[in-house]
Amino acid sequence: MADHSSVKGPEETAPASSEETALKTLVRLAWEALFLKEEPYAEIREASNPALRGLGLIVLVAVAVALTSLVGTALEWATAPDMLDIQPVVFQGIQQMPWYREMQSDPAFRKGFQERWEMLEMLWSLAPQLFGTPNIAPAASRIILLPLGLTLTWFLYGVVAYLFARLLGGQGGLGQMLGCTALAVAPQLLNLATFLPYVVVGGVVGTWMILCRYVALKTCHRLTWGRALAATLLPYVALAVVVSSFACLGSVAAVLIFGGGASR
Amino acid sequence: MNELLQLARDVLLFKHETYAQHVARADALKRGLALLVLVTLLAGVVSFIINVVGDLRPTSVEARRQEAEEGIQEFTKSLGTMRQFFDVPPGFEREITTYMRAGMGMGFRIEALPTRLPKPVGRVLTDLGAFLSLPFSRLAGWIGYGIWVLLVAKLLGGRTTASQMLGATALYAVPHVLDILNFVPCLGGVLGLVATAWGIAIYVKALAVANDFSIGRAIAATVVPALVGGVLALLGLLGLLTLALVSR
Repeated sequence: MADHSSVKGPEETAPASSEETALKTLVRLAWEALFLKEEPYAEIREASNPALRGLGLIVLVAVAVALTSLVGTALEWATAPDMLDIQPVVFQGIQQMPWYREMQSDPAFRKGFQERWEMLEMLWSLAPQLFGTPNIAPAASRIILLPLGLTLTWFLYGVVAYLFARLLGGQGGLGQMLGCTALAVAPQLLNLATFLPYVVVGGVVGTWMILCRYVALKTCHRLTWGRALAATLLPYVALAVVVSSFACLGSVAAVLIFGGGASR
Repeated sequence: MNELLQLARDVLLFKHETYAQHVARADALKRGLALLVLVTLLAGVVSFIINVVGDLRPTSVEARRQEAEEGIQEFTKSLGTMRQFFDVPPGFEREITTYMRAGMGMGFRIEALPTRLPKPVGRVLTDLGAFLSLPFSRLAGWIGYGIWVLLVAKLLGGRTTASQMLGATALYAVPHVLDILNFVPCLGGVLGLVATAWGIAIYVKALAVANDFSIGRAIAATVVPALVGGVLALLGLLGLLTLALVSR
């Protein structure tokens, strides 16, 4: 791996032309960051207000992705049958299956099945996307929710990773760190392909983002590869620990509440 | 484009200078990715055309039902073969085909439901979506495995950057152009195996060049993540089996 001394400062990197607008600069930086080059990360680290620029980039990418995926979802919606028409077909199909025919003589089963089916129908109408149904309203709401979600994730990850990076000997400031990790949102650009319906981008975005975050941390804090790797992954480990702890606490609370209730 | 074709040819022939020059370039990852995406799309283009033509061909529902019924018959035959090796319970064949026919019936009824845009538009868009998803699927596998290979390579003393390493190993996709004949029975499978073996050899060579270390170390860096994954999967399976036995 290239030594961190090879990372160029802003004076050594290709200077942005004076006519280059802030928007163009952000798009150029994101495009270069996608290919895991250290230069764009070094450039944003040395820029004025890196965190603000990073925030701008995240909002820009998120809105673009949400808008394109709205087009894709609308096309899917227009080419798929209405879910309200599909529901009775599935219901009748299940009723024609051998296991149902065997069980239907039991009134308790019929009642239980009907109740569960009604619950499923309600869930189906409340959250159709859970059933893979193309739905325009949730896709449109992503224009607001995706920028919010990505910004929140970026900020939380940035702060936690900053703490770990400093503990591991990092030299960057929090603003620089946020600017650099904002560039790691670049793989989200792959989601622009969902402009076309039925295109599945899949898990590549998440994995690629981890790699971008690694380059961001390494460049921002001038860390060795091992320390940069540790600082990149420790926030994920911390998140897993927090989630597991809450899950354990929740389980204990549930046992205490319901266990106590049963014994009374 | 000519430059990429030249690169692809030299990569297939394992020309050392080509690998070294590719890794040394600042845009190695960009070039590698371009090649990976192009090869994957090229390999899938014939199947895509076949699917589109098949979907646009006017066929009666009865003919398609017949086609699906033939598929079920094929499956029943394969169950007969399986019976020689596995203990298939009596009545299983009848039971499973009943469920398959019920599912098929549901599928045909859903297929017959009206859509807002004409049906052929939906079918072509579905085929196009599946076709354009191919590179993403390959990218996910390659990058997901590549992270672990990069880690092992680093631990073995490798001196590459993530960008160089991924740019180099993306070349493994080149022989997969042979997947273009995937739809041909038997030959497609054989060519797929050849492409996989050739791709692994290119992966090892590219890794050795990118890290500036021996082929032996490159083989180790390539194989260790798969071995570790296999061992972990086996341990997980054993754990589940133990749990199942204990809870009986």
